[in-house]
Amino acid sequence: MIHFYHVTKRFDQYSTALHDVTFHIEKGEFVFLTGASGAGKSTLLKLILRQIQPSDGQVVVNGRNLKSMRRSQLPFFRREIGMVFQDFKLIERMTVFENLSFILTVLGIPPREHKKRAYGALRAVSLHHKLNAYPLQLSGGEQQRIAIARALINEPLVIVADEPTGNLDPDLTQEIVQIFAEANMRGSTVLIATHDRELIEQSGRRVITLDRGRITDERVAVPQRAPRVESIFGIGG
Amino acid sequence: MPHRDDALPQTTFSYFFREAARRMWVSKRTSFVAVAMIAISLFIVGAFLLVAENLGRAVAQAGGKSRVNIYLTTDATPQQIAAVDSWLAAHGEFAGRRFVSKEVALTRFRQYFANLSDVVGQLDENPFPASFECEIAPAVAQSPAFAQQAKELRAIPGIDEVQFDWEWVEKLKKLINLVNLAGIIAGGVLAIAAAFTIANVIRLTMLLYREEIDIMRLVGATERMIRGPFLIEGILQGFIGAVAAIALLFAAFAAGRHFLAPHYSLLWSFLFNGFLPWRKLLPLLAGGTLAGYLGSWLSVRESGEEEPLSS
Ligand SMILES: Nc1ncnc2c1ncn2[C@@H]1O[C@H](COP(=O)(O)OP(=O)(O)OP(=O)(O)O)[C@@H](O)[C@H]1O
Ligand SMILES: [Mg+2]
Repeated sequence: MIHFYHVTKRFDQYSTALHDVTFHIEKGEFVFLTGASGAGKSTLLKLILRQIQPSDGQVVVNGRNLKSMRRSQLPFFRREIGMVFQDFKLIERMTVFENLSFILTVLGIPPREHKKRAYGALRAVSLHHKLNAYPLQLSGGEQQRIAIARALINEPLVIVADEPTGNLDPDLTQEIVQIFAEANMRGSTVLIATHDRELIEQSGRRVITLDRGRITDERVAVPQRAPRVESIFGIGG
Repeated sequence: MPHRDDALPQTTFSYFFREAARRMWVSKRTSFVAVAMIAISLFIVGAFLLVAENLGRAVAQAGGKSRVNIYLTTDATPQQIAAVDSWLAAHGEFAGRRFVSKEVALTRFRQYFANLSDVVGQLDENPFPASFECEIAPAVAQSPAFAQQAKELRAIPGIDEVQFDWEWVEKLKKLINLVNLAGIIAGGVLAIAAAFTIANVIRLTMLLYREEIDIMRLVGATERMIRGPFLIEGILQGFIGAVAAIALLFAAFAAGRHFLAPHYSLLWSFLFNGFLPWRKLLPLLAGGTLAGYLGSWLSVRESGEEEPLSS
């Protein structure tokens, strides 16, 4: 589903954000991407969305080689990916509902369904009462949940989330991870970048670790204890 | 899976319109400038067209007939008048002659220029000459043989002047063409300027919305989706400008007709004879809309995805 072949990304001659990165994520997997700040997590996720192009190597997502993909295909490709951006990327001029309605318009959903779909998506992140608020009237965590609701609204083939729990308290974090897990159960492939160690260790999921632009570790986290998390993720692994 | 969005759903268009209206509202002042530019240029085109239209109507009223007016000198004797009359009777083309006496000429003048009749009333003597009027078929009127006869006619004593009204009809027709052309050129230049104004307005708007346009691209909006509202914005500005121009022109026309025409002169009453017909208003509307579309298309065309440097 997501394949990186010897991918290098240089922004300028002094900084190389990714060095010769190769990894594969298969359909239906749920994978964490971790690493220190500046390790290159966001860069990797941006490459998946073709927000940026690699300096070297190949990226293949949903069977499409992003290098050879025609520009006109790009929007349609992006619609298959639900991206939660680290900086949310909500349209500030639009209310929460309008933000969601916009994405539904992009996806070709008839407007008479927008209210229902938007409400459903917000309900999942417990923000259905904020339908008519503007993003800047919301807290960081609330904006983040709106961004998540937007990414998941159409059950995308691939869900890519950049620090989706960065602004959330532990309870909300569990709730949000639960939402991703459910989407994963319904068939979406999920890749989440995070430095929340506890979240990763208790997940029992596959973890890719980046360090200064290189993959230094690939393993499956083994939950130590915490029955609560077990019940959320089902049988770990 | 091949994807296309050639067939944008109708709902997308309603989104375009809503967004365009909203953006125009947000940038009221710049939008106003764009609309005003279009309105001014189309008002000028319209004014020229209107003048030409009414001159054209005057010509049409004169009809396809070519009229010859043979004015007699004011002191022509009855014998001289009779001689002219018999000459006309002898020449077939002039056979349909009609005599207009000095009194009839005065009465006519009083009818045409009601407000000037006081002046005339004070005159001791009727200053208007008597004349013969003939209707000549245009084909005959333009033949060399006829020109020869006209020359003979001018030589007959008692005749002051022989006027062929197709001469002024021809002149008027040339004038009409000139007025039309001037209007279209002046308007065209202004409309292009207006289109560039709109292009700049849209470019400003796009700059204002750049961040959000990037977001739209990232969540899978097509260029069409992104450009749609901007194109509609330009089209709306052009259309509103054209409607405003027509409304202004009509107001100016109605005011002119109300305050000036009946009291002034025959020329004025010709100029305020009637407003532009639909067949000329529709191209004005279309022209404004097109200028708006062109302007927005110009600025939208330049925008494309660049690799964003921001995080
Ligand atoms: N547009 C850019 N221009 C130049 N350098 C960049 C750009 N974007 C990222 N970098 C550099 O690439 C490296 C990796 O950045 P990236 O944002 O991928 O890190 P990250 O792992 O997401 O960090 P964080 O956990 O803080 O979000 C950093 O050293 C950063 O300075
Ligand atoms: Mg990051």
